[in-house]
Amino acid sequence: MPPPATLTPPRRYGRVNWLGLWSHYRRGIRRFLDFAWESLGGPCVFTLLFLAVFAVAFGAEREIAAGVTYTSFIAPGLVMFSLCYTAFETAGFSVLDDKNNRTIEDLLAAPLSPLEVMAGYVLSAMASAAMSGTLVGLMVAVFVGLPMLAPLQVLGFAFLGTLLFALLGTLVGLWADKWEHYSFADSFLVLPLGLLSGTFFPIASLPEVGQTVIAFNPVFHVIDGFRGAFIGYAETIAWQGFLLVGLLDLLLAGLVWRLFARGYKIKA
Amino acid sequence: MEMRSFGDRPPAPRVIGAVNWRGLWTLYLKEVRRFLNVYTQTLLAPIVTTLLFLAIFTLALGRSLQSAGGVGYAEFLAPGLIMMAIMQNAFANTSSSLVIAKVQGNIVDMLMPPLSASELALAHAAGGVSRGVLVGLAVGLAMWAFVPLGMHSPWLILFFAVNASLMLALLGMIGGIWAEKFDHIAAVTNFVITPLSFLSGTFYSIERLPDGWEAIAHFNPFFYLIDGFRYGFIGHADGLPGIGAAVVLVVNLALWLLAYRMIATGYRLKA
Repeated sequence: MPPPATLTPPRRYGRVNWLGLWSHYRRGIRRFLDFAWESLGGPCVFTLLFLAVFAVAFGAEREIAAGVTYTSFIAPGLVMFSLCYTAFETAGFSVLDDKNNRTIEDLLAAPLSPLEVMAGYVLSAMASAAMSGTLVGLMVAVFVGLPMLAPLQVLGFAFLGTLLFALLGTLVGLWADKWEHYSFADSFLVLPLGLLSGTFFPIASLPEVGQTVIAFNPVFHVIDGFRGAFIGYAETIAWQGFLLVGLLDLLLAGLVWRLFARGYKIKA
Repeated sequence: MEMRSFGDRPPAPRVIGAVNWRGLWTLYLKEVRRFLNVYTQTLLAPIVTTLLFLAIFTLALGRSLQSAGGVGYAEFLAPGLIMMAIMQNAFANTSSSLVIAKVQGNIVDMLMPPLSASELALAHAAGGVSRGVLVGLAVGLAMWAFVPLGMHSPWLILFFAVNASLMLALLGMIGGIWAEKFDHIAAVTNFVITPLSFLSGTFYSIERLPDGWEAIAHFNPFFYLIDGFRYGFIGHADGLPGIGAAVVLVVNLALWLLAYRMIATGYRLKA
């Protein structure tokens, strides 16, 4: 029996369900903007406060190395911190919120591959981070000035750092069973990684043990490469950091993809 | 099925005197258990955050800075950071409690029982004070392991710790009653509480501010909390601790009256 004429035929799509991925992505962005006071306002206030406090406590014109003032030293780090933190928060929040509300079942039932489910979370978190990072960057540029010596390198490191934390957020969101677990990872993993990363001090001011330890913090390489691209002052070699973090991103992406495919904590 | 028998009559209702002590105590316990249940978030996280701040500020500024009063920068900074943790946590306790209750609708469970407006205000305020003081104690002990903290005047330390907790608990109540969703209270935290606690002389002596700003800082009640609290540790203050204590008491009285009035009139609590 032929189907009734009023029934629309099923939508056909190729290897990627673009419409599905786009809808999933847009949902993430909307969720981010629903909490704009917190999600965009937070990083802006945090950045301005740190700039103000450091400028007053330290002296805005004080130099940390020849020709590098302290405020211009921390400015790129603050932008990167906003990027990374927003990416983590948005991804982690989205995944855990979907798990708690059981709306993740709608995603799993939809014709989206594990890779598409993951990509929707990660890409919307990255786009949200780009919004808050741009806003913070503009603010910093207005208040202390932000030269950009190597724009491509800026974008490259922004991409790698944001991706790293979007993946990390997704991972934490998958792992966490409740909000308490999420904020545990936030306080005990992400904040230490982000704050003890050379954003606020040159690593030369650390004792030698500290200098060795901090080299294992990927955020340090991201921030140093990012800062180098802005002001030309760096403590590591940019391409090495780029490669290192890029590799870490790939590994993490592989792990998260595998977890989605296995249904880790999301399928019974 | 047999009904449980009370004899001829059901039990007489509990007679409540001028104060509903049992109700007050129960609500207070609920407020305390709320934060003790999630102690990783409410006690351990502030310790980590505060120690991180201590690390980055002393690493960035430490050696180059000798603060007013002749103490090292870490000793100057430590009391300010403890106070910041106290303030943020006292505020978070009352504000989150009220906003969550309003959003989830279980605020009626608090408005229905025979509790007066002052009892409601007191139980919440006491919950916030408990969290503030407990966090202060935890953070202070952790800090003590890294920074040699003297005690110039324990009574002043206690006075300012309790009054700071009370001020922020009351502000949290007022904010929580005013807010209609989480994003509103996040805005208050981000744009009012965090800036005021950052810019109140936690990280630097306000003598370092340009003249106009130094005068403005004296209108910020948080400045007196931090300054007086620090005086209790290092015996040096930017302002006068006696005047600070008076300002703090007056502000707390005014905030109490406002919070009481909001609850008594049912502002944004009762339809």
